[in-house]
Amino acid sequence: MAGARIRPGISRVDDQGLRLRALDDRALDVCFDGRRVWTFWTLRDTEGTGPLRRVAWPRPLVKHLDGRSVVAVRDSASGATYFEQELALGSGAGRVEVVSPKGVELGFDKSGKLVPTFAGRSERDLGSLLDATEAVVAALRECGLEPFLAYGTLLGAVREGRVLGHDSDADLGYVSRHDTPVQVARESFRVQRELAERGFATYRYSGGAFRVDVQEGGVTRGLDVFGGFLDRGRLYLMGEVGTPFLEEWLWPLTTAQLSGRTLPVPAQPEHLLEAMYGAGWKVPDPAFKFTTPARTTRALEGWFRGTQPGIRYWERRASASTRGSFREPSVLARRAARLAGELGAEVLDVGAGRGADSVWLARQGVPVTAYDYVPRGLRDAVDVAAAEELPLDVRPLNLTEWRSVLAEGAHLAHDPRPRVVLARHVLDATSAFGRESLARLCSMALREGGRLLADLHVVDDAAGGDRPGDPGEDAPDWMVGRPDAEAVATLLRRYGATRVVTKRLPNRDRTTVRMVGEWSAWT
Amino acid sequence: MDLRTLRPSSSSTVRRLEERVADLEADLAEMRQHQLRLAELADVVQELLVPVAQQDREAVDAAVERFRKSL
Repeated sequence: MAGARIRPGISRVDDQGLRLRALDDRALDVCFDGRRVWTFWTLRDTEGTGPLRRVAWPRPLVKHLDGRSVVAVRDSASGATYFEQELALGSGAGRVEVVSPKGVELGFDKSGKLVPTFAGRSERDLGSLLDATEAVVAALRECGLEPFLAYGTLLGAVREGRVLGHDSDADLGYVSRHDTPVQVARESFRVQRELAERGFATYRYSGGAFRVDVQEGGVTRGLDVFGGFLDRGRLYLMGEVGTPFLEEWLWPLTTAQLSGRTLPVPAQPEHLLEAMYGAGWKVPDPAFKFTTPARTTRALEGWFRGTQPGIRYWERRASASTRGSFREPSVLARRAARLAGELGAEVLDVGAGRGADSVWLARQGVPVTAYDYVPRGLRDAVDVAAAEELPLDVRPLNLTEWRSVLAEGAHLAHDPRPRVVLARHVLDATSAFGRESLARLCSMALREGGRLLADLHVVDDAAGGDRPGDPGEDAPDWMVGRPDAEAVATLLRRYGATRVVTKRLPNRDRTTVRMVGEWSAWT
Repeated sequence: MDLRTLRPSSSSTVRRLEERVADLEADLAEMRQHQLRLAELADVVQELLVPVAQQDREAVDAAVERFRKSL
């Protein structure tokens, strides 16, 4: 009962974080000079015994906490203020400013990332995002879908009539008129293709969801488009939903106001909001964490996902700029350069990362195509290649998407020439499907003959984790599964390698295997 | 075997049932994964087969490029 709850007390706020007394779990907003930056739950997100709790500042916030600021701690739901005081943090010089290098105000979103938030944006910026939302809604309708606002955007519209300040993106959903995952995925592919033809930049997350990138006031914001379907009284919606649902709760769609715009929502949106956020959806909670039932996660994973192994790790790596300075080339890249010279070949650098090897090879005069499934990481390489007029091409390739591999393979097979495929720690960073795809890509790209040069870590059974395929605690964060070098060699032969040489490299922290696969020219 | 009629009277029965559930979940995941792969293959065939069947080289090139750029 809300009336019986005891107010939390904030006893101290300093460079380390907050100390508080709390008997029940509730969401608190932390504001700097009046602006909400972070929200935490008094029990869930804190440490301590009994009511005496402490919570450290989230790591991405720490570097911003240098200067003076009026720090306020407020109840997310009621707005009641439990603490408000001017404090000196860090050196205490100047004011605390939680902003990006471009000066855009930042806050923590629901996924715990420090991002530009709507709360910090001008009316004009917000207007341009709403314009983009309307444009994507219109385009999805032209593609034959019935889109509606979803997740945080739906919550903002229905509960408050406006974009939630702590949200960082806009979400759209649609429920397909098809009722099997295979049809839903095909429809999603078709719609993404039609959006691309209309000039929208898109990025696919899974067989059922993709993002449309729109420019908003100098910041690229993603509008996520989540597909769903109804199957015998059960609604599945990409992201988090799998629940019993009635058609009349969805259709015919109606409208709601979102910061002054009229936008589509389900017929009875409260049912979808309850499916997304639980029965407490009416109470604000900027630190909400989804607790999706395991059954729903298993179903959505099985039907639509598995095409982005390790994506969070690689996205994080990709967002760090190289500032145009690249690491030394790998041993494998040097070997690729020699081979390319001997064979008069070009190099395909698969899993190029930030492009250090690709740029080095191109600087040696070797024509290179750098592939990665997070092509954002290659933006510095693109800039350097343009400035130095290097023979370097950058293309997206996702080994865990059949469409991506077959399309790129067809493109390469269409232009047969000697090639060297460089795959440094790719076979050990992708799924079994991805490993087979690399072999398939080689078979399509190397029809004029060529080599695959690959390094991979292998984990002995004793060092692996308990579950089958678990690489174990000592394995690098990005490692997927426990690839077996002999099995990979067999796979390469199955895809046409006439010779495979496998060598264990000595004197390394981890066991690394170097594989050279040779393909002969088709006669 | 009707699982509802089983009485988990011993730890070995419980273990057998746990293993069986794990196997069933793995089997289900395996079958579910075919949905996405079938959708992908159907999409490739639909987009690329028609120009190939027409034996129109330019149309094939254009179809491959258009398909690649739409991913």
